[in-house]
Amino acid sequence: MERRLQQLFFALSLLALALILAAGWQANTPSWKNYQRSFLQLEAQEEPNAITKAAVLATPPEIHQVLLPGLQRVDRCTTCHLGVEDPTMKSAPEPFRYHANLGPHVSAKFGCTICHGGQGLATDKESAHGKVAFWPNPLLSTDYIRASCGRCHKEGEVPGVPELTEGRHLFETQGCRGCHKLNGVGGSIGPDLTGEGANRRAPEWLERHFLAPNAVSAGSAMPNFHFTKEQARDLTYYMLSLTNEEMGSYFSSLRLIPSPEYGRQLFVEKNCISCHAIGGVGANTAPDLLGVTKRHSIEWLDEQLVNPELVYPGSAMPEYDLETNARKALVAYLASATAEDAQLILSKKARAMTPEDIAIEAGKQNFSRFGCVGCHGTELQGGVANPNAQGGEVPSLLHVSDDYTKDEVIAIIRNGRVPPLDNAAGPTPPLYMPSWKKVLSDEDINRIADYLWSKRQKAKDAW
Amino acid sequence: MNLIREIWQSIVRRDPLSTDKGKSELVFLNVWLHIHPAKVKKENMKFRHTFYLGFITFFLFLILLTTGIALMVYYRPYPAQAYQDMKDLQFAVFMGTFLRNMHRWAAHGMVVCVLLHMCRVFYTGSYKKPRQFNWVIGVLLLLVTLSLSFTGYLLPWDQLAYWAITVGTNIGSYAPLIGGQLRELLLGGHSVGEGALIRFYVLHVAVLPAAMILLTIVHFWRVRKDGGLSRPVWKLKGKQEGLVTIGAPTQAAALQATAASKDKTYGLMEVVTGKPIFETVTLEEEEDTVFSYPYAFVREAVALMATVTTIMTMSLFLNAPLEELANPAKTPNPAKAPWYFLGLQELVSHSAFLGGVVAPALMVLMLLAIPYLDRNPSRRPGDRKLILWLFTIFVAANLVLIVIGTFFRGPGWALVPPWVHVAAGAE
Amino acid sequence: MNRREFFKISWGAVGIASLCSAVGVSLAAVVRFLMPSVFYEPPQSFKIGEPGDFPFGPPTFLVDEKIFVFRDRDKGFAVASAVCTHLGCTVAHFSSDQKFHCPCHGSVFAADGSVQHGPAPRALDWFEVTLARDGKLLVNKDKIVPPNYRLMV
Repeated sequence: MERRLQQLFFALSLLALALILAAGWQANTPSWKNYQRSFLQLEAQEEPNAITKAAVLATPPEIHQVLLPGLQRVDRCTTCHLGVEDPTMKSAPEPFRYHANLGPHVSAKFGCTICHGGQGLATDKESAHGKVAFWPNPLLSTDYIRASCGRCHKEGEVPGVPELTEGRHLFETQGCRGCHKLNGVGGSIGPDLTGEGANRRAPEWLERHFLAPNAVSAGSAMPNFHFTKEQARDLTYYMLSLTNEEMGSYFSSLRLIPSPEYGRQLFVEKNCISCHAIGGVGANTAPDLLGVTKRHSIEWLDEQLVNPELVYPGSAMPEYDLETNARKALVAYLASATAEDAQLILSKKARAMTPEDIAIEAGKQNFSRFGCVGCHGTELQGGVANPNAQGGEVPSLLHVSDDYTKDEVIAIIRNGRVPPLDNAAGPTPPLYMPSWKKVLSDEDINRIADYLWSKRQKAKDAW
Repeated sequence: MNLIREIWQSIVRRDPLSTDKGKSELVFLNVWLHIHPAKVKKENMKFRHTFYLGFITFFLFLILLTTGIALMVYYRPYPAQAYQDMKDLQFAVFMGTFLRNMHRWAAHGMVVCVLLHMCRVFYTGSYKKPRQFNWVIGVLLLLVTLSLSFTGYLLPWDQLAYWAITVGTNIGSYAPLIGGQLRELLLGGHSVGEGALIRFYVLHVAVLPAAMILLTIVHFWRVRKDGGLSRPVWKLKGKQEGLVTIGAPTQAAALQATAASKDKTYGLMEVVTGKPIFETVTLEEEEDTVFSYPYAFVREAVALMATVTTIMTMSLFLNAPLEELANPAKTPNPAKAPWYFLGLQELVSHSAFLGGVVAPALMVLMLLAIPYLDRNPSRRPGDRKLILWLFTIFVAANLVLIVIGTFFRGPGWALVPPWVHVAAGAE
Repeated sequence: MNRREFFKISWGAVGIASLCSAVGVSLAAVVRFLMPSVFYEPPQSFKIGEPGDFPFGPPTFLVDEKIFVFRDRDKGFAVASAVCTHLGCTVAHFSSDQKFHCPCHGSVFAADGSVQHGPAPRALDWFEVTLARDGKLLVNKDKIVPPNYRLMV
């Protein structure tokens, strides 16, 4: 018995030795080492002589990582994707292929996962691509990668990603805010979309949802907006970009791309043409701006935009409080601005507006921006289904001035209203008028009322 | 050469192991081994008496200590870093996955073995006089083990950890009077957050291991003083019951008078208390007595290696779970406590007060009271039928509750048999 | 010894021996475990930009990487460490005398990095700079090169 026990002890100790060796072997042979070996062989092929070949092949294997505290992540993708910044690897097989068109988005500053998704901390293929349980952010397919641009670039147009601009435009004009909050502004009938991009819903789900909300979200009160496939994709891009993440200052300062297109947008927004001319087209209260970048340095022009009085004491030019990249964009536009373009800008400006016109126009903008059009329609026609509400649908507002006083309408906008039930014993209608007094200023609400009343004038004029 | 011999003999000061004296000195001159008796009875060391569960539990604790300290090198107990460190252990640390797995499986193993050990001690009636208080120490060790497992559960800071601890601390808050305060003390706040994480960490790596070590020392000491590993005394031929006594010399004299002529009475002198413990053994038992080295040690060594190799094998093939990063805004459905608390959670789902306060308090109090409520001096199973049945029912009920909580409860805590697949709840 | 004597070796002793090897291997594994595989610090090897970004003449000082980038019309690029070898302060390079001066304890290093004056025990390090495959300059602080090393671009 004693001998048997000693033999058993010996056997178990040997087993323990074998197990620890197995664990060590398992830890020492991760798949990334194989990828690195293959890559070194590829690199060695291009080496001119045996000595440099051997030097390359002797490179010790190691995990490559990029620390990105500003983006709150660590990316280890380049452990396998070794040719990402090597132009000679243009036609190499994956994972070694060169990543063209990175531009300023070098991996040392941006890593990989901020655009591509996936699990940067991982060092094996399946886990790193995020296609594992409990990693909610898998690799984005090529159809959707460009949506990630919107995670940083939140203002203006993003070159190469018209879907984002279009998606944002659709969101603001189709009335999404009427039911959904975004960054604190909006209704509360549907879920808050502020961090929708971080909810990690599959892009395909989002797209199907825009095409047919009820098919994807059973029982949803969201009406079918009959978007086209392109529009659904644009909106999906916009949703994916809403990650609501905190970024380090370097990244948040990059939100604006200083493109000439954005500069033109600012030129129009700030109404520069009301004082300046370009090539003689425009006003003559301030200097003509044609070719201004050839006469003055970029720094001078930038200073001019920050502090006009510093450069021209007594200048009547207002301080516009523009961000660095916004100023860069304006200057970029001015570098190529022409008189023809100034003509275009001038012609788009409406005739001089009366204060009432301005109020009504502002009210119309509000009506669209805050999402009222989502339920009441872009033509105030109403018609969105609302089961068990009296009338069965969201009312039209074309004749609201006939049924209510202006103060009553203002009160309804401020306090909200639950629609009266068709069948008192039936279910509560899913849609209701939210209360906006906490979201909109009184001035904004009055302007909406002005806008609604302007429709009555039109109707009366029509008689 | 003489110098080497001199150095060696200054370290190893006993006689060679080939001599009886050397074998004894190996035990009582060695600080690590001298808790053992120099000689043991073969009968004591039989596997089927104790299944070596106490040893195995202790060895698992040693595995937990060593792997735990290794893991501490790479783990930072702050919400901003904890989960990332878990991922680093998995992907960027040599043998990180293996060590973490060792720690996890040894932890679960220790909870299981400590419960099995308690059952064994109960079924063999080894808590009876004079071992009553050691049973109490054992219950305290059980509570410390469960606390260590519970505090460690939070550290990965994933969804599993966060919500299991949220549920667990909420169950605790139902305790009357002190419940709310206790929860706030544990969490360092009103909900699980960075306060909870650092407090649980300090408990897990310092306070509770210290308590465990201190209690273990007392527990082992008392086992020795109470006469060593328990054995089925009633099975020995010609053995009279009650031939162990702690007492004054007069009682010893009485003992000697009642013993058969061929028995011998030993007194283990207790210098501290001045009370000798007398035990009378038969001559058969005398022949049964061997040196601890190598008889006891080889058995302990086999138990140690069996434990270690089992845990290592499990760690090579089974990975400890790691779910998504903890998200206070998103409760998984269902949110379950660790398995050893699932029985409690099942009770709590019926009544928070009864399940969360009354039931566990009663269980602990009953356990503590067993050696004092049980007035039957006999350890023979035939004489203890009622209490054995009661205990078995108690164990079975706990098992059933845990099984229900683990396999039969789905989203919303609804009863869903495990063979029915329920799609993950929509948000 | 003959076969009988060989098999008389106690299994316990062999068991202890294999246990010791298992413990030894485990200790080696623990040591390897403790050696970091990834570093939470700026990398030792990094790209500093295109060759065209760097002017001739006085060196460009990169503050985060603590290096001076020299560009010579005839000889090419060289990268010197800006960390004083005495106690680690950042040295400054003066064009007037082409030397490195440390503000902390007054060490002066000549143009090739050798110690001219002061408590510094050894010369400033020069780091290997090579051309990466995308045309950018790649500095490797793990590779120390002699002061006359130049990268011709």
